[in-house]
Amino acid sequence: MQNRFLPYLLTLPSLLLAAVVIFWPVWDLIQIATHDVNRFGQLREFSGLANFAALAADPDFVAALWRTGLWTVLVVGGALLLSVPVAMILNTDFYGRGIARVIIMLPWAVSLTMTAVVWRWALSGESGMLNSALLGLGIIDHNIQWLAQASTAFPMQVLIGILVTVPFTTTIFLGGLSSIPDDLYEAAALEGATPLQQFREITFPLLKPFINIAIVLNTIYVFNSFPIIWVMTQGGPANSTDILVTHLYKLAFRIGKLGEASAVSLVMFAILLVFTMIYVRLAMREQRA
Amino acid sequence: MNLAKWTVGLMAGMSMLAFAAQAEAGEVRVTVAEYSAKTGPYFEAVKKEFEAANPGITVKFEVVPWDVLLQKLTTDITAGTNADLSIIGTRWLIDFVQQDVAEPLDGYITPEFKGRFIDTFLSPSIMGGKTYGLPIAASARAMYYNKDLFEKAGIAKPPATWTELQDDARKIKALGSGTFGFGLQGKEIETDVYYYYAMWSQGTEILNKDGTSGLGTPGALEAAKLYKSMIDEGLTEPGVTSNNREDVQNLFKQGKVGMMITAPFLSNQIKDEAPTLKYGVAAIPAGPTGARGTYGVTDSMIMFKNSKNKDEAWKLMDFLFTKEQRAKFTQGEGFLPVNKEEAKMDYYVNNADLAAFTALLPDARFAPVIPGWEEVAQITSDAMQKIYLGGDPEAGLKDAAAKANAVLKK
Repeated sequence: MQNRFLPYLLTLPSLLLAAVVIFWPVWDLIQIATHDVNRFGQLREFSGLANFAALAADPDFVAALWRTGLWTVLVVGGALLLSVPVAMILNTDFYGRGIARVIIMLPWAVSLTMTAVVWRWALSGESGMLNSALLGLGIIDHNIQWLAQASTAFPMQVLIGILVTVPFTTTIFLGGLSSIPDDLYEAAALEGATPLQQFREITFPLLKPFINIAIVLNTIYVFNSFPIIWVMTQGGPANSTDILVTHLYKLAFRIGKLGEASAVSLVMFAILLVFTMIYVRLAMREQRA
Repeated sequence: MNLAKWTVGLMAGMSMLAFAAQAEAGEVRVTVAEYSAKTGPYFEAVKKEFEAANPGITVKFEVVPWDVLLQKLTTDITAGTNADLSIIGTRWLIDFVQQDVAEPLDGYITPEFKGRFIDTFLSPSIMGGKTYGLPIAASARAMYYNKDLFEKAGIAKPPATWTELQDDARKIKALGSGTFGFGLQGKEIETDVYYYYAMWSQGTEILNKDGTSGLGTPGALEAAKLYKSMIDEGLTEPGVTSNNREDVQNLFKQGKVGMMITAPFLSNQIKDEAPTLKYGVAAIPAGPTGARGTYGVTDSMIMFKNSKNKDEAWKLMDFLFTKEQRAKFTQGEGFLPVNKEEAKMDYYVNNADLAAFTALLPDARFAPVIPGWEEVAQITSDAMQKIYLGGDPEAGLKDAAAKANAVLKK
């Protein structure tokens, strides 16, 4: 009898803590999102799903929703593709590996906002570093206005997103790689397996749980990531680089529609919750099989 | 357990609490916007001077970057942890008044006190006959032009009309070597205002007489077409939508831009950062009928209704709005004087730059005092960005006018 309750009892303190930190704000958001609220968050009458309906009818919100999906897939996918080889190289023994690891990790140590500010300067049309470098190398013959339109601004933002996501992802993979015993590779090499076969049959399968973790965590971080896009374009020009968080910020603190902004944040919460549940379910089923 | 020790500890704790509460009683918290690097040190000095003159009152200034001020105020008010006084953009005041968070100051204002202010700047803070804020910062916009570029291009005087401005911009563009005729702002705060300069010169106002948006009028279309044609002709800097006000100002300081419209604080920046730049300040160009408009802005200091130390807070306000304090602040930040006596000081009278700004004040428009103004401004900025990027002015403005009217109707 005692055994059955003991686990719940043991998790109770942390559950309570989680309730205070997570459930209470969510409850607050639900309150605001389902009421008519004034500019300062004071609740007026109950309005049901009116705020959600207003969102669905707003083309800027719908566009931001799709763009957030694209943004997340590109940044998380790009970071994963880049991090696997980087981690594998850093896992091999070579002279100067310590320094190489520090260099890879460095972007992580710099605040995201600062990184974005520096890139904003670097991408400036008339006095930016990137344009002078490209002009100097003879790759372009006139300045490119990187941040003037979404067709160049958004890809650059994705690239910077990948750049700042790589260190964390690499760290996870390095942990995973160091847990793979060397004997496996030695045995495979003795049997005549090529490096590609070794990667496909040993490294990748054993790294999979770590890849799954990296996907889930990165998706959550990137989906909610505010500084890069806000600092560089504020979601502009004309909302063409907005993702959900920047759209939310403008709704809440520029225009003062706290009800709709809370509804956006609930939608974001729901998307992430569903994604995480489905993904974890799939990943665990795969592991059991 | 030693009971005596406990008692002593408890007493000590209680007395500290009491002490803390006492300190709280005379404390005035003020949220102020950080206009420049000089803002923080100025208010530090105010704190020292004021506290020395008023024993028993402590002052706590919270200096917040302008960009996040509204966000901080929103969250503070929601949580009930707002300061006693705050600087706000006067265009936000109507929300504060309607939601009953701002305290009317008429009970404190004496005729002498009211007489200190220049009426143009005090009147935006008066609503329904009650004064809710005092103008702490005032500014207007005028046109800066680069005298060296004008001389090289053979232009004798700054343009008086937009047609002349286009001609001058063509001449400056012809100089080549990375110079641009007219600096056009197309990003972030005041992107909409930059468009109003052209719109006002067509005789169109932000709001029509019946309260609908002016964006749907022929004058608004003419103005948008003017800017778009200048972009298409290469008379502006390239990548308009990637340049905010500071970016265009930087281009001006580097001597790359012939003309731009901005606030008096650019003069202070040029003095510090580009002292060799030869520039002049002129009126904003007029339209075909001679109409012109500049943007007038004030920021107000307000008192919160839930403040527990209103008398102390008022003492601080009274101190801040003396001639000496005003002069120190205004000259440091590069704003316009709001105090009548202050405006008579040599610093302002003998300053050609500031004279150009004050001469424009009769043409100054302030942001309309309507709820939802920030949303209308956002709609206008978005529409302009689309047009600057190559969108059709007529369709863009029609769409924006419809959206703005929907907001205005509420």
